[in-house]
Amino acid sequence: MKTNKEKTKIKERSKKADAKQKNILEMLKSHGAKIYDELDNGQFPKFSIPSRSVSNIVYDKKLRQYILGSNAAIRSSRNSSQLRSFTQLMWLAFFANRLTKEKKSSTLRDVYYSSQAFAIEFEDQSESDNIIVDLEAVTSKPREDFHIFPEERSSIFGDLNIEYTIPGYEGKTMNLSNHPDGYSIGPSLTTAELVDTSAEIVIAIEKGGLFTRFVEEQVDKKFKSIIINTGGQAPRSTRTLLKRLHEEMNLPVIVLTDGDVYGEHIAMVIKSGSANAAHLRELTVPDAKWVGVWATDIEKYKLPTIPMTESDIKRCYDLKKDPRYEDGIWKKELDVFLRLKRKAELEAFSKYGLTNITEKYLPQKLELAKSL
Amino acid sequence: MSLIKEKFNQISPSEFFYSNRDLAGFSNPTRSLYTAVREFVENALDACDQKGILPDVHLTIKAVDPDKSDPKPYILTVKDNGPGIEPEHIPLAFGTVLYGSKFGLKQARGMFGLGATMAILYGQITTNKPVTVKSSVDGQTQDEFELLLDIQKNKPVIVKHNTKQVSKKGLSVSICLEGDYSKAGNKIRDYVYETSLITPYASITFDDPKGEKFSHPRFVKNIPPPPTIIRPHPHGIDVERIRRMIVESQFEIPTIDDAMIEKVRKDLGLSVKNLSFTAIMDKAKKKWKTLSRQVRVVIALMSFLKMDFEKLNKIKIEDIDMPNKKLFYWDFGDSQSKSVDMDPESQYFKQLTNTVQGEPLTTFLTKRFQRIGPTTALKFAEFSGFKPEKRMGTMTNQELVNLSDSLQKFEDFLAPDPSCLAPLGEGPLEKGIQKFFNPDFAAVVQRPASAYSGFPFIIEMGIAYGGDIKTGGPHVYRYANRIPLLYDEGSDVVLKVVNDTDWGRYKIKGDPPFIIVSHICSTRIPYKTAGKENVADRPEIERELRLGLQYLSRKLAAYMSKRGQADMAKKRANLYAKYIPLIAEFCTELAGKKKEPDYKKVLEIENMDEVKKPVEEENKVENK
Repeated sequence: MKTNKEKTKIKERSKKADAKQKNILEMLKSHGAKIYDELDNGQFPKFSIPSRSVSNIVYDKKLRQYILGSNAAIRSSRNSSQLRSFTQLMWLAFFANRLTKEKKSSTLRDVYYSSQAFAIEFEDQSESDNIIVDLEAVTSKPREDFHIFPEERSSIFGDLNIEYTIPGYEGKTMNLSNHPDGYSIGPSLTTAELVDTSAEIVIAIEKGGLFTRFVEEQVDKKFKSIIINTGGQAPRSTRTLLKRLHEEMNLPVIVLTDGDVYGEHIAMVIKSGSANAAHLRELTVPDAKWVGVWATDIEKYKLPTIPMTESDIKRCYDLKKDPRYEDGIWKKELDVFLRLKRKAELEAFSKYGLTNITEKYLPQKLELAKSL
Repeated sequence: MSLIKEKFNQISPSEFFYSNRDLAGFSNPTRSLYTAVREFVENALDACDQKGILPDVHLTIKAVDPDKSDPKPYILTVKDNGPGIEPEHIPLAFGTVLYGSKFGLKQARGMFGLGATMAILYGQITTNKPVTVKSSVDGQTQDEFELLLDIQKNKPVIVKHNTKQVSKKGLSVSICLEGDYSKAGNKIRDYVYETSLITPYASITFDDPKGEKFSHPRFVKNIPPPPTIIRPHPHGIDVERIRRMIVESQFEIPTIDDAMIEKVRKDLGLSVKNLSFTAIMDKAKKKWKTLSRQVRVVIALMSFLKMDFEKLNKIKIEDIDMPNKKLFYWDFGDSQSKSVDMDPESQYFKQLTNTVQGEPLTTFLTKRFQRIGPTTALKFAEFSGFKPEKRMGTMTNQELVNLSDSLQKFEDFLAPDPSCLAPLGEGPLEKGIQKFFNPDFAAVVQRPASAYSGFPFIIEMGIAYGGDIKTGGPHVYRYANRIPLLYDEGSDVVLKVVNDTDWGRYKIKGDPPFIIVSHICSTRIPYKTAGKENVADRPEIERELRLGLQYLSRKLAAYMSKRGQADMAKKRANLYAKYIPLIAEFCTELAGKKKEPDYKKVLEIENMDEVKKPVEEENKVENK
């Protein structure tokens, strides 16, 4: 039996979710009404879309993420070459409206196929994906808000109670340490309310193998942590969840990656977003900390290494042009990578025994993180 | 030890072609049947063209035994309404290889009349049947011959000859030959079809062995003007041709017989029977200007022989040795050869020199070649290093070679005279294309005459798009001197030019329904092979083809872009009609309304706007 206090809390939480839904629907309605009125008045409807071209993406030091500049293009139904994409975008808004209203979830691929039921043709999925990003750009809302979720799944494990808001599960709760394989970060988890946790930190780790090792070694208990497997570059729903854990539960986020330039960038994307999502502002955890594997760790821990490929090296030089890599450990580690011309994986610690990474490396790094 | 004596034999032309029949397109039953059709049909059309008769040509192919399988004997008959052939020429014309009437320098379909005889020869060796020729020159009597060729002697053997009454002029040739119609049929039908396109003033019918009739009535009532025979152009000449022309230009020493003496008497106006030598010479001096060349030569000879008519009757002139100034003659009285010295100072010496040594170079050039005047002739003499008065008859072999080389190299000769060519003309060509393809667009062009190696040529071309034309183009219809070329198109110069064209540049994409007709007219088409099916890529011809095709392609491109604009406008209208209602539907639900907005006004605006494109809104970027 739930206490009255708890019941009130549940009500509050579902109110919050309802409010968010209402907000989204209102916004879509106002866009729809504008188009409706224009058509009704004998005008060709049009709207403004922020330009997503490279020249319009700038790094905002205050927000500590990439954002779109002020350039915008008019997409008009009067222009025959834009008519088709205009209609596609209208359809997508219409479709998102239905999804949100009926609380149904969809994926990028699903959207692509759904279009065919409405005589809206997309050449291929990349065209429909592009329109979805257009909708995000116009509304400044991530597609997850419109119930369009990514297909790739990462997972989460640790002492965290959540409460579902999806239809049929409203009010149901779950503790995310109940299943040793972790919980898949899908639509229901992404939209769930975060109730409470005993954890004091979130550890995002790049690799599934190490995630399992961490669960086995009870890193969640030993270090009072929630462990998240990003599965390489973190999907957007995972980044949203990281942000929420940081903001709603006041948990610091640290990131553990392979000791290479791509690992460094995985951490950076969690921290300050990607250029691809510069039109969105709800995906970043600017306070997230990258704790390794650093290039300097390779030397410090004498890790087995692999030579860097030409593309690794090219990537290093590309990142050096990025303003976010201008100083601090970000710059320092890039320089060391370039000096070593070698890289190491998280698994490299297994050289010193299976538990070495959790018993030796992780505690040292967590300690270090406090000073970062 | 035995000695084997090598034997040298001369073979006759027919013997040669008998052993080399693939040279002329008689390599197998399929090809032979097609080639035989071509040769007879082309002869028939040529004969009519040259006399300005609108041709009616009937082609019939019949299997001797329809139940046999191919290859088998067929009877091929081609009948025309042409001028016919005089009966005395028929045996030679149809029973001798290399006998014909087409050796002059003007455009005709065939060159030597060789092909028809080859077909007859091929028929004879495969079926051992004679050729039947029926000819009526006057439209009243017809001569019918059955002929066989004596291949070794290159002579006709008349098997049968009779005459009968008829009411029509014309020629009919019928041969029996081994052929393969099941394989050649397509080509033959194509040939007849394509021939009727380029010969729109002819009416051609074809009865095929399966009992099908193909009829192509004439749709142009006027026959294009026939080509004229012209003198050769100096660029197209070789040493052998020059040598022959010199012989033609030389005047033979006349035989002084009774008839000749009678002629001299008459021309001099001598009434007295036996006039003395001096009296004759006096009379000749007075009348010199009115005398013919022949008589002048006789007088010149008499002046050195110092003989009267009676004595002249008893000798025969043997030789005139100009360098040694001696005149040799045979005296019948003494039965021996005698000579007299000639006085080089005598005015008669010059007369004989002219006769024996031929014309001076400049005269030779201006008289024997086309489009050379005295000024050009003198310029050429200077260029080649010959004296203008150099006598053609005195040229050594080496000098002839030098002369021939110089004629090739001298660049100031005018371009060859195209009056020997018979292009179809833009009007009839376009009419043909309209009738055959019923296209949405057609254009034709006739390029000005040009020349390669001294042979004049004219390129005519047509292009057509859409309508009844099948997709998968360009389909190329190649013609040379009004003959369709059906084989070996891969290596043809026209195909090369067509394939080199970047059709995308002319707004032609994908699988276009379009055709190209190309007609090369020349006194000599530079065929690549003796089969005469593809034209070699002479740079001059290639250039003219390219220019012609470019001109037509530009016209087609203009049409395509007009058509494209119309298509685009239609497409645009469809686009709005499709998408605007969808937008209306979606925004109605988004806005939470029941009734759709009234979007008809928007569509009306779009219809009115169709002409002026709303360019101003494309890619417009505004700063917020």
